[in-house]
Amino acid sequence: MSRADRRYVLLLLAPAAIYLAVFVAWPLLNLLRDSLYEVALMTPGERSFVGLDNFSRALSSSRVGGAALRTLGYTLIALSIEFTLGFGIALLFNSLGRRSELLRTIFLFPLMIPPIVAGLLWRFLLIDNFGIVNHVLHALGLLAATGDIAWLGDRDIVLFSVTLPDIWLTTSFVTLVLYTGLQNIPASLLEAARIDGAGALQLFRHVTLPLLRPVIAVVLIIRGIDAARAFDIIWVQTEGGPRFASEVLSMHIYRIMIRYGDVGFASAIATLFLLALLLISLLAFVGIWRPGAIRRDA
Amino acid sequence: MSGRALTPGRLLVIALLALVMLLYVSPYGYLMLTSFKPPEDAIAIPPHILPRQFSLDSYSSFATDPEVPRSFRNSLVIATLSTALAVALALPAAWAIARYGSWPGRLFLLIALVTRMIPYISIAIPFFALMRSFRLTDTWLAVALAHVTVSLPLAIWLLAGFLEAIPGELEDAARVDGCSRLAALLRVIVPVAAGGIVVTAIFCFLASWNEFLFALMLTSVQARTAPLVIAGFKTQYGINWGPMTAIATLYSLPVIVFSLFMQRRIVAGMTMGAVKG
Repeated sequence: MSRADRRYVLLLLAPAAIYLAVFVAWPLLNLLRDSLYEVALMTPGERSFVGLDNFSRALSSSRVGGAALRTLGYTLIALSIEFTLGFGIALLFNSLGRRSELLRTIFLFPLMIPPIVAGLLWRFLLIDNFGIVNHVLHALGLLAATGDIAWLGDRDIVLFSVTLPDIWLTTSFVTLVLYTGLQNIPASLLEAARIDGAGALQLFRHVTLPLLRPVIAVVLIIRGIDAARAFDIIWVQTEGGPRFASEVLSMHIYRIMIRYGDVGFASAIATLFLLALLLISLLAFVGIWRPGAIRRDA
Repeated sequence: MSGRALTPGRLLVIALLALVMLLYVSPYGYLMLTSFKPPEDAIAIPPHILPRQFSLDSYSSFATDPEVPRSFRNSLVIATLSTALAVALALPAAWAIARYGSWPGRLFLLIALVTRMIPYISIAIPFFALMRSFRLTDTWLAVALAHVTVSLPLAIWLLAGFLEAIPGELEDAARVDGCSRLAALLRVIVPVAAGGIVVTAIFCFLASWNEFLFALMLTSVQARTAPLVIAGFKTQYGINWGPMTAIATLYSLPVIVFSLFMQRRIVAGMTMGAVKG
């Protein structure tokens, strides 16, 4: 690349780079700085340096630990159901080939529904006494009385219940991406394996799965990140209740910031959350992606 | 693939999928049906799936509330503003990445990727302080600027993918004809990439239209967006389900209908980043 080319490239990159520096990097540096101070929300000018106090407070707080565990739980529940369901449906679509187009179109529409509408809608569907879900279960004979399951009121199951709208909204995304990945597998490769005498299950394990691995990695990481930072979809269902049983990290940080005005403490937890998410994504990326896996496995 | 016969096995798969689709569509259908019931029927025990009586009362109940139309206007302005800004910033960057490759471009893609992994709350907290120091809280601009932090990385990834498909010779040819490089980008490349730019804009618009947390932290009265007002039907008046279903329908249906029309292009955008890896 010539010198002029290089200058032109930097010129083209500059506007976006400046934006990201001012509105992403600079705020994040402020977050780091604030995490070392005690700052009051209303009087941010009066701050006192407290070193790593906020971090040790965060790491020893049972509320923070609980919220972190629930964030992990929510993510794992949502991710495992979405992936299993989404992969299964993608395989069904794939077995139909192009004929599946109309069904795929229908299947895509929840992706366009705003998360808060999904959250409120499911809250409406699940409400114990006039929610339609319990009435349907009752009519099918699965529930003795319509009030028998308090989906969003029972602390033991609420973390599962609040994932339902997330699953409803985003299984389509998993299906869509995996379906495209499946369609991109060269038919000749599958044919060759079949001629070599591979059965359907072997074909899936030794050809399809290894070839799909990078796509699976991307799906899991994208969905995992989005589930881990979910806020609105849970907030409109329970606001983290009953008694914090569905309070995830984003929500706890928001509360500390807005309700208690403790900017320093909120910043410390938000910093830990950020680092944890980056680290887990990186590990997942390295662990699942393995671009060389095709040759080894197949 | 398309030439295969309809075997019984394949029919079974179709039946199974059709059942899944039905289960999939019914929650939203129920939302819409409920919005056309008289508001008190929305919470009837036992619930009825079909409206026993058609009524627009749930819709008219908030027609007198000036906050509802204002919040829709706020959402529209903020989404438009943030989309324009994100596309304008992403387009040159994506072209640099797609056309010239090289390490700054790759580094940039990586930064965009890492930005996508940041929890919203971790940006929202310092962003709130930043906007307050600019005296911008509760304005369209504050929320739009915040939404661009979400849509810009997305736009860069999508556009870089779309622009990669455009041969660099197009730029060379335009330059031979006497265009400067910037003019070649705007007059030759942009029209050719119009389809991809539209898809990118749709994704940016949706990201802003649906966003909740930034809007929650950055607005109080004047700039409150539609999702906040919809969620507010719950906390403010107890649970006012009738009007909530109506306003939720108004808020989501146009987007759903529009995206069904644009479906092919949207699918292309959604799968591009993930499948190409």
